[in-house]
Amino acid sequence: MKVTTQNKINEWLAGFLQKSVVIAPVETEGKFVYRQIEEYSQIAWDFERTDMPPKTAVFPMTEPILYIEQGSKTILKNPPLPKNKIVFGVRPCDARSMLALDALFINKEPIDPQYAHHRESVTLIGLSCPQMWDSCFCTVVGGAPNSTDGLDILITKVGDHYAVQTFTEKGTELTDKLISEEKDLAIPKPVLTENLPTLQKSGEWMELFNNIFWEELSQSCISCRACSFVCPTCRCFDVRDELTAFRPGVKEFERLRAWDSCTAAGYRRIAGGHNPRDTQNKRLRNRFYCKFAYYPDDFGPLGCVGCGRCIDACPAGINILEVITRVEQMTEREKVNG
Amino acid sequence: MTSLENQIRNSARKFLEDGQVSCVIGYERDARGRARPAFIVKADDTERLIWDSDCSLNLVNYLHSRKSPPGKDQPIPKTAVVVRPCDVRAIQLLINEQQLKRENIKIIGITCAGTDINHQLRTECEFCQERIPLIYDVLVEPEKPVELPASQDAYADIEEMESWSSEERFDFWTKEFDRCIRCYACRQACPGCYCFECVAEQVDPHWTSIALEVPEKMFFHVMRAFHLAGRCVGCGACEAACPMNIPLGKLNRKIAKEILELFGYHTGDNSENLPPLVCFNPDERLKI
Amino acid sequence: MLEEMNILTNPNLATITGITDLATNIKLVQVQLDDPGVRKNFKYSPGQFAEVSVFGVGESPFGLASSSDRGDTIEFAVNRVGTLTEALFRLDIGDQVGVRGPLGHGFPMEDFKGNNILILGGGIGGAPLRPIIQTIFDHRKDYGKVTILWAARSPDLLVFTNEYDEWRSQPDVALHLTVDKATEGWQHDEGLITALIEKSKPSPENTITVTCGPPIMIKFAMLTLEKMGFQPKQNWVTLEAKMKCGVGKCGRCNMGGVFVCTDGPVFCFEEVKQFLESFV
Repeated sequence: MKVTTQNKINEWLAGFLQKSVVIAPVETEGKFVYRQIEEYSQIAWDFERTDMPPKTAVFPMTEPILYIEQGSKTILKNPPLPKNKIVFGVRPCDARSMLALDALFINKEPIDPQYAHHRESVTLIGLSCPQMWDSCFCTVVGGAPNSTDGLDILITKVGDHYAVQTFTEKGTELTDKLISEEKDLAIPKPVLTENLPTLQKSGEWMELFNNIFWEELSQSCISCRACSFVCPTCRCFDVRDELTAFRPGVKEFERLRAWDSCTAAGYRRIAGGHNPRDTQNKRLRNRFYCKFAYYPDDFGPLGCVGCGRCIDACPAGINILEVITRVEQMTEREKVNG
Repeated sequence: MTSLENQIRNSARKFLEDGQVSCVIGYERDARGRARPAFIVKADDTERLIWDSDCSLNLVNYLHSRKSPPGKDQPIPKTAVVVRPCDVRAIQLLINEQQLKRENIKIIGITCAGTDINHQLRTECEFCQERIPLIYDVLVEPEKPVELPASQDAYADIEEMESWSSEERFDFWTKEFDRCIRCYACRQACPGCYCFECVAEQVDPHWTSIALEVPEKMFFHVMRAFHLAGRCVGCGACEAACPMNIPLGKLNRKIAKEILELFGYHTGDNSENLPPLVCFNPDERLKI
Repeated sequence: MLEEMNILTNPNLATITGITDLATNIKLVQVQLDDPGVRKNFKYSPGQFAEVSVFGVGESPFGLASSSDRGDTIEFAVNRVGTLTEALFRLDIGDQVGVRGPLGHGFPMEDFKGNNILILGGGIGGAPLRPIIQTIFDHRKDYGKVTILWAARSPDLLVFTNEYDEWRSQPDVALHLTVDKATEGWQHDEGLITALIEKSKPSPENTITVTCGPPIMIKFAMLTLEKMGFQPKQNWVTLEAKMKCGVGKCGRCNMGGVFVCTDGPVFCFEEVKQFLESFV
């Protein structure tokens, strides 16, 4: 087992900072978010799960997709390619979420070149979870606190040392200077939460689409979008033209794409006023179905990695794990009755 | 005197059994022990209703028929709602602005000892002088009377902020809004925010960019605070809803304090006076 | 200059060559793509759509309203209902717009060959059906009897009125008009399109139907056709949803697990009946 120490990790990161953009978890007023850092001392190490996911490294909250100059002629330009980024301190669930986003943006035609460039430019360095945290349920959706999917490197704390595993060429090259020694070290298994429900397959979800449960569940939803914004796999976006500069005869715009959410009231309202998802019931139901039925049917992976951020963020106490449990119960009941 | 929770449950049960309302909106406990809104339609389910200091989301938000539409072609239902004194002022505001009808609501008013944000008593509650709601159909009272805080100044914490220089204030808010993710949870949780299309999202006229830069985020929050001038009741729902723990109460209550000083107006005082910035009253004089 | 041909983000520049009134609050906009290479290769089948940009205002989807076999002018009908359409109304010949497309799936004209075709157009919904009419007329012998039922709320909202005589003059083509509310001098039917369908008694034998219009019109037209013996698989519709990216990425236009932009907007009604979410 290749191992390293805290000091060597710090040196290693300091080395990256000299020539790369490094994004890592930092603490701001009690909340843990991923930010670009200037010094390794800014990194927060004592978090359970960050409050915002690292998906901002490959799918920023707002980013220009086109630059428009309107003068006597219209000139269009694409944004420049993103710089290389090291994303440090990624939990295994968040790494799996990148794979879920890849299934839509890269593996399904047409490729989204901007997302693809971001994805190519990042190296994901994971930090293993010693246990499942309070609202976690990664094991329900095919993950694990020590999963290696989607990571270039995974670091696991074992006593005073850190075990280092690499899974890609990029990862192996980068850890060259990191390793301090080979040690006979057993990585303890992470502590798993017990008594979690079993996720039903999309076919089972489809059977329950018109069940009154969705109406009851969504009564407290305030269509606030917080769940989608803290979610590592949600990717719905809006596109707007925004004015950036103005001089005689010339206007400059950027076409921005920005995070949006299907839970927002006006999300599906078309000009003229028609809105097929005009109640919270229809919108909230769509969000769950997208994650557990539509996304896997259309793209392969589930649209949820079990991080539990939405459970903590929802002001109205709507709990995705409860939804999974209820769907399991309703499906069992159907089987018994049917 | 039965406990607060028993009183709430009994009133709710009576309203439902008598057919006076079709739904009671209160709080219940979720599997993780946190309080969350509950929509009770059956008399037996009233046993789910609870009350504790975690109950900090303004349930009046759910009464607004545009924000919580009753369903296609359904009539506006009669609802009972569990409210704190600050929440009840929102009911008064919405009645004044013709968004609610008093006869459609039964108010279960709580004699309030204060509620928490992030497991700590809200600053507003520390200084609040109003423990009994201004209007109610049923008043829920604790066994021991709630003590009023010694300090008479409901805005002591805002005064502290006012003592900072404008640079210090700007730096403070820049730091706070840096982590705002512009999810609009604050707006959605606020009973005073019920515009069909918020100016922050309008394309025509195009007031502001959707970019997530601090200037844009600051613009949204300050603009929202101004649109709530004279309408904010200080319930703290915006702060309770914010996933990033931004102290929005400091902004909205600062404006509420100025309205009180300039117009002698406290939102929801009575059923006659519309908020000063909503109506034109030629007799109005600024108390400068 | 744009570095890569990126259908998700990069529109082709196009210049407006015509902008004429089609009906009250509806204009027909004609554009030509600026780049000659792109212009030559911009071929599409009836039913496909394009995302049109008014730079600085935004982008919206429009059904392509003419057959690309007839030339390289791209036509689309614009109903003034929102911000972008308002901006389009203020443009003039010579102004530049962006065109991203062609997007979506069109009607399977090859499979329709040999059939009688019943065309149901409601209001501006007639615009995406016009390329079908043009394609049929350009290959008249390949298709059977054509019946066009054209409806609108009132006579001033009927689209392509200046082409009706030409349509009627084609062999074995019947055109019937109806409006919800007639005005003085109206010589044709008054009533909903469902009444017109029943009146014209179309035979389901060897017939394909294509319908476009407001969702509620599509719903009732389908019910009427089924009552008259049409199987869902004979009925084709084109649906509208708020499409933003147009290529199945932004997640906005889904109806259940189906994206209107990539799996549609043209659907066989048999498929629509299985959608989890109602299209109405």
